[in-house]
Amino acid sequence: MDERYVRQIILPEIGPQGQERLARAGVLIAGVGGLGSVTALYLAAAGIGHIKIADHDSLEPSNLNRQIIHSEAFLGQPKVISAAIRMKALNPTIRVTPVQTRISSANIDALLDGVDIIVDGSDNYETRQVLNRASLRHGLPFVYAGVRGFDAMVSSFVPGRTACFECIVTGGEAPSGRGPGIVGPAAGMAASFQAMDTLKLILGIGKPLENRMVCIYGLDMRIHCVNLISNPQCKACGKLYNPDKRI
Amino acid sequence: MRIQLNGIKEIIPEEMTIKALIEWAKEGDPHLIVEQNGKYIYPSAYDGQAVFENDTIEFINPNLGG
Repeated sequence: MDERYVRQIILPEIGPQGQERLARAGVLIAGVGGLGSVTALYLAAAGIGHIKIADHDSLEPSNLNRQIIHSEAFLGQPKVISAAIRMKALNPTIRVTPVQTRISSANIDALLDGVDIIVDGSDNYETRQVLNRASLRHGLPFVYAGVRGFDAMVSSFVPGRTACFECIVTGGEAPSGRGPGIVGPAAGMAASFQAMDTLKLILGIGKPLENRMVCIYGLDMRIHCVNLISNPQCKACGKLYNPDKRI
Repeated sequence: MRIQLNGIKEIIPEEMTIKALIEWAKEGDPHLIVEQNGKYIYPSAYDGQAVFENDTIEFINPNLGG
């Protein structure tokens, strides 16, 4: 038994076979900002066999209050390089593929080659729409999270089984300037939920956030779980949704 | 009529719909998510969905930062 993973392999829900499943899994982390910084570290540490990280940005000082995978020495460098170096330092046994690109409908299909789950680390509606459509097209779970201020929300959208992102979120403000204010722990809480749900979806254990959205209100320390339902008129998944498969 | 809105007890006018409640609360986010008594409400239903005494309603603004 690999000593690195012993504390999770001893869990009956995981065991040696679960660890093998993690080692065989491929995950795309779409963005290594506030959310992706944390999911990348937890998923690397857990032993996900292949993690692709995609982000077009370079590291700026204003990122460092929450994007804790990076460090000051990498200011001006591509975030995917900074993140990949840190992930490999944490766990050299896994494969990390950094892709410096702006995720779009033109490149998402190629990015999903060999990927089992899409983890949202983006910061705008348009990219999430691209990820959602790709999730539906390829039949891959899309583990969404979003943060603003002290608050966060998380849900897992599984094609054919749950509502999709666009059933629930119908649009958003165009990105402007520096984006919204965000405290680091808000991103950290959301990303930790994402990492947990990603592991559960790969392992087929527990109750992932399917047709549920966790809303975290940091200032009040209140957590609310909304029950979601698919929208039969959804422009993205309306024809795909199969109520017989609904959980 | 008394309801609980985002965890706070509120007294609102009688015979309101979800659409009217959104306007009453001056909620301006066009992408608002509404939950009534634990049930997600489609935006297309806001106009016809009545609010009742003692309802628990959550207005949720989608978070899109990262």
